Amino acid sequence: MISVTLMVSGYLSMAQTVNWRAMPDLKKNIIGISLGLDHSVSYGLSYGRSVTVAKLPAFITAEFLMPSGEEKLDDFKSKAGGQIRLIHYRGFQFSARVQGVFRRYQNDFVRMLNFGSDFAGTAGLYQKKWFIAAESGFDKAIVTHFKHSALYRAKYGNVVDGWYEPSTGGNFYYGIQTGFNFKSHSVYLKAGSVRSQDFKTKPLLPYYGQVGYTISF
Amino acid sequence: MKKMMIAFMAVWGMVSCTKERVLNEPGNLVPRTVDQDPGLPSIFVNNALLHAEAFGHPDSTLIVVIHGGPGSDYRDLLTSKSLAAHGYRVVFYDQRGSGLSQRFPHKYYTSLGRGAVDLMYDELSGVIAHFRTEVNQKVYLVGHSWGGILAAGYTGKNPDKVDGLVVAEPGGLKWEDIETYVKESRSFSLWSELFNDAGFIEQFISGKTDQHEILDYRAGMLGSKNDITGDDAPVPGNAWRAGAVINAAMFEVGDKYHPDFSAGLEQFQPPVLFLYSGRNKVYTSAWAQHIAGAFKNVQLCKVQGVGHEGIIANSGAWSTITEPNILKYFQSL
Repeated sequence: MISVTLMVSGYLSMAQTVNWRAMPDLKKNIIGISLGLDHSVSYGLSYGRSVTVAKLPAFITAEFLMPSGEEKLDDFKSKAGGQIRLIHYRGFQFSARVQGVFRRYQNDFVRMLNFGSDFAGTAGLYQKKWFIAAESGFDKAIVTHFKHSALYRAKYGNVVDGWYEPSTGGNFYYGIQTGFNFKSHSVYLKAGSVRSQDFKTKPLLPYYGQVGYTISF
Repeated sequence: MKKMMIAFMAVWGMVSCTKERVLNEPGNLVPRTVDQDPGLPSIFVNNALLHAEAFGHPDSTLIVVIHGGPGSDYRDLLTSKSLAAHGYRVVFYDQRGSGLSQRFPHKYYTSLGRGAVDLMYDELSGVIAHFRTEVNQKVYLVGHSWGGILAAGYTGKNPDKVDGLVVAEPGGLKWEDIETYVKESRSFSLWSELFNDAGFIEQFISGKTDQHEILDYRAGMLGSKNDITGDDAPVPGNAWRAGAVINAAMFEVGDKYHPDFSAGLEQFQPPVLFLYSGRNKVYTSAWAQHIAGAFKNVQLCKVQGVGHEGIIANSGAWSTITEPNILKYFQSL
């Protein structure tokens, strides 16, 4: 079941880092794998399908990220949404991405389930074989369910479990991304900084990065 | 698309139909502090309401137990209240901004600059003054980790006001040593579950400056275990509440001013009992001797079988190694 889930999730992403200029040469579907830093060391699977929205090129995307660590699948992040190219002038292109996020976290004290959103804009220079672009986005944890363990209740017995809203957290990120295409294959690299929503607090891992490979079919 | 909308509406409906809870509501995720819960034992010292308790006869020699952090609390040090049965008055307090004591903004500490450390010394003076019943009552300090650093610094500044000093694994007494120790004791592998647990949670909760409930909760999630310092397993009920703001603020002050907690210790004449653990991988015997070198007359004692937190908190180690050595030391004074 897990492998099926992973496979399905894997079919859904990669479009997150896409060379729009190379799109006419690509097939409808793109799958990808990645390794990166995203508040932890994370492995990712992704799937994207190219579509047209109001005559604009777009991708429906989904991805699944799982952090490293001894406990498998106690933490993960999944995203589903879309990405659309809004501006295209010669090599310069601007695209926007909107994704719904569902993630899980568990340690000795608590299990959290969260629904959130991830909005981002990417602008840059895109050529047939390569691209370089800047991106900026905001990942918001909108509503989170907390369920505490007996270990935490030994610490604080009156802790209140349940859904917490409104927003329980958020992080801004900004950085650069670049990639190279060859036939239906593509490799990409992106890196940047992460700041907490107050722009003052640095997370434990104040950087993000991802190296990935995609193939279209 | 239609199915996605239905799923979204279902989830939203489920969430909307439940009672709204907010992270920074006192009492929701972390316990209330003494200024929010009058039922907790407290003392008012130097304009701060501190969570504090004392055991034993009020006129007996005073033992002030000082917790680590900055920002931890005295809950796991309560093992040492058994010293009261040996004829001592044992005092516990949560430092301001820590445990169940009153919270203050980040700037409250940092605006004092180097004086933020003096604030902690003055607080300790205030606690001693509060519990002292007569001027000749002897005062012994027992400090664990940051508490040991604070106790040493206080003793160096007030060598005539302290009659006995026990320190348990102070990371260092000079700032450079503290930095080295902290860095090494937290050098988790990027691929480890510990690192993942510490980092991944920041997507779910990201409190703003001075949102104490949120920041303390998140900090408390990290205090579970550390296999580098020999604290491999989480201990149920080992703490009440972390003090994230004072922790960040004091490290900021330390980074900027490099305080020397060994200053004046050459003036302290009595011997010092220096405890360190057998399982802390970075607190080796060589490191213990290096740090203990700041004391004029020091007795080193290795507490085998436990890590950093277990020196006092582990009831087995406490009753068989730590307490007997502390009692022997106090009796020698």
